[in-house]
Amino acid sequence: MRALFPALSSRCHVSPCPNPLTKPLTLLRSVSDTLPYRLLCSSSASAPPPPPSMADDNTSSTSPSTAPGNNGSASVEKQFEGFRSLLDESGTIRERIRSVVMEMESAVRVMHSGLLLVHQSLPVPEVLEKPRVQIGVLKELYRRLADILRECPGQYYRYHGDWRSETQSVVSLIAFLHYLETGTLLLHAEAEEKLGLDASNVGLDIEDYLTGLCFMSNEMPRYVVNQVTAGDYDCPRKVLKFLTNLHASFRMLNLRNDFLRKKFDGMKYDLRRVEEVYYDVKIRGLTAEDTTKDQKTEA
Amino acid sequence: MASKPQRVHQFAGTSVPGSMKKRRTMTTDCSMSDGFVKYADYLNGLNEKRERVVKASRDVTMNSKKVIFQVHRISKHNKDEVLEKAEKDLASVTDLYMSRLVKELQGTDFWKLRRAYSPGVQEYVEAATLCKFCKSGTLLSLTELNASLLQLSDPSVEPLQINVLDYLLGLGDLTGELMRLAIGRISDGDLEYAKRICQFVRDIYRELSLLVPHMDDDTEMKKKMETMLQSVLKIENGQAQSWL
Repeated sequence: MRALFPALSSRCHVSPCPNPLTKPLTLLRSVSDTLPYRLLCSSSASAPPPPPSMADDNTSSTSPSTAPGNNGSASVEKQFEGFRSLLDESGTIRERIRSVVMEMESAVRVMHSGLLLVHQSLPVPEVLEKPRVQIGVLKELYRRLADILRECPGQYYRYHGDWRSETQSVVSLIAFLHYLETGTLLLHAEAEEKLGLDASNVGLDIEDYLTGLCFMSNEMPRYVVNQVTAGDYDCPRKVLKFLTNLHASFRMLNLRNDFLRKKFDGMKYDLRRVEEVYYDVKIRGLTAEDTTKDQKTEA
Repeated sequence: MASKPQRVHQFAGTSVPGSMKKRRTMTTDCSMSDGFVKYADYLNGLNEKRERVVKASRDVTMNSKKVIFQVHRISKHNKDEVLEKAEKDLASVTDLYMSRLVKELQGTDFWKLRRAYSPGVQEYVEAATLCKFCKSGTLLSLTELNASLLQLSDPSVEPLQINVLDYLLGLGDLTGELMRLAIGRISDGDLEYAKRICQFVRDIYRELSLLVPHMDDDTEMKKKMETMLQSVLKIENGQAQSWL
């Protein structure tokens, strides 16, 4: 790239746009102030270039820079103007989505900090009250997201990347919350219901759900350690059983070599740490129970 | 792919991945395992579909490249027959391979699997626009291109329409091919044609430079813009040398 610029500057009389990597940005500002408005009104989301009948007045008024002299490049220009307004529209949608996602992020943060109190051996029902409120907030945010996406049907996955990681965090938190409440795994359908999601418009992507579960598992070792410290010696056994089941269930999936696979691979370390805590508790004779079944698990 | 069935074999103790549905690991409690059976089905279906799309996309790429090579066989005297053959080849790419993509991509798959099929579609755009330019000296528009794909799908289902982004990325590659074509024309002494190509490529470059910052993910396009600028320079330099 560096070598290119001298070549450019020496030849700038031929080159249509000197310093092409920075110029268009500034140029664009001024053009987009005036130009896309007209096009925005005319173009629908699905039909890229405006009809040819509009071609003449548009090109003559908006392209002072070139006089190509053949109608070939005039129609080229025409088409690209249509593209610009289309891309502007999707850019606007993306901005709106991002503003919702930012609120999601902060709701997630509030919920997470609330759930962290669980490690400080406070009574669980009391701790869960605040995070539970955040589920309602999130539900409202997902409703707004769904409203935006309803404007561009079928394009869920075009913008999916924008809310993906937040959704994974959301799943991990509500699944953890659900475990603390019930001692069971939050299923995909239950998660969708909790967040007011609906597969017909904005559903919960299954891979996001599964990734969220892996994140939840990361929280477990710390929870177990702190529960033991607080005197709950039965907790490691329960969590171990839960995580073992979860891990076994995950092994039924044929994962690709992707992010989810990586996260799943990390789950076995959580499992091992919980096992170690359980072992420690057991070996010190702190568990009230004495069963042969548990000894078998150790072996 | 080969390692995955093995994994199943190793861990879940089943020899055929499909039979997993009925199997239940001993320790897993019921609802959890039922849920995961569903997720496994979903993931298997998605992965298989993605694999098929990738394959179809690769076939589209390979055969579109052949069309492009055919176009490059052009010289002063054989223009018509070379292009006729190229167009015939392109039509068969559309019928044989693009049609497979069309069948796979319905509803949300269109965006979800875009990464899997985008390279093929870009190459196809490149081949189609190159043919069109050589034939008539104009740019094949996205509308025209998409119209030619309409005939492939069943009227009852949603037709596959190439999206703006893939079209633009395909145009980015087109300029590279046009550069080769122009250099070939110059060495053939056909300076008039080279000049037309040069003007065309400049137009495309200029238009694209306005669009790049608006694109969903512009890193790929930015790279292409650099290459494109070099193509423009090469044609210009080639022209300049031929005058000297």
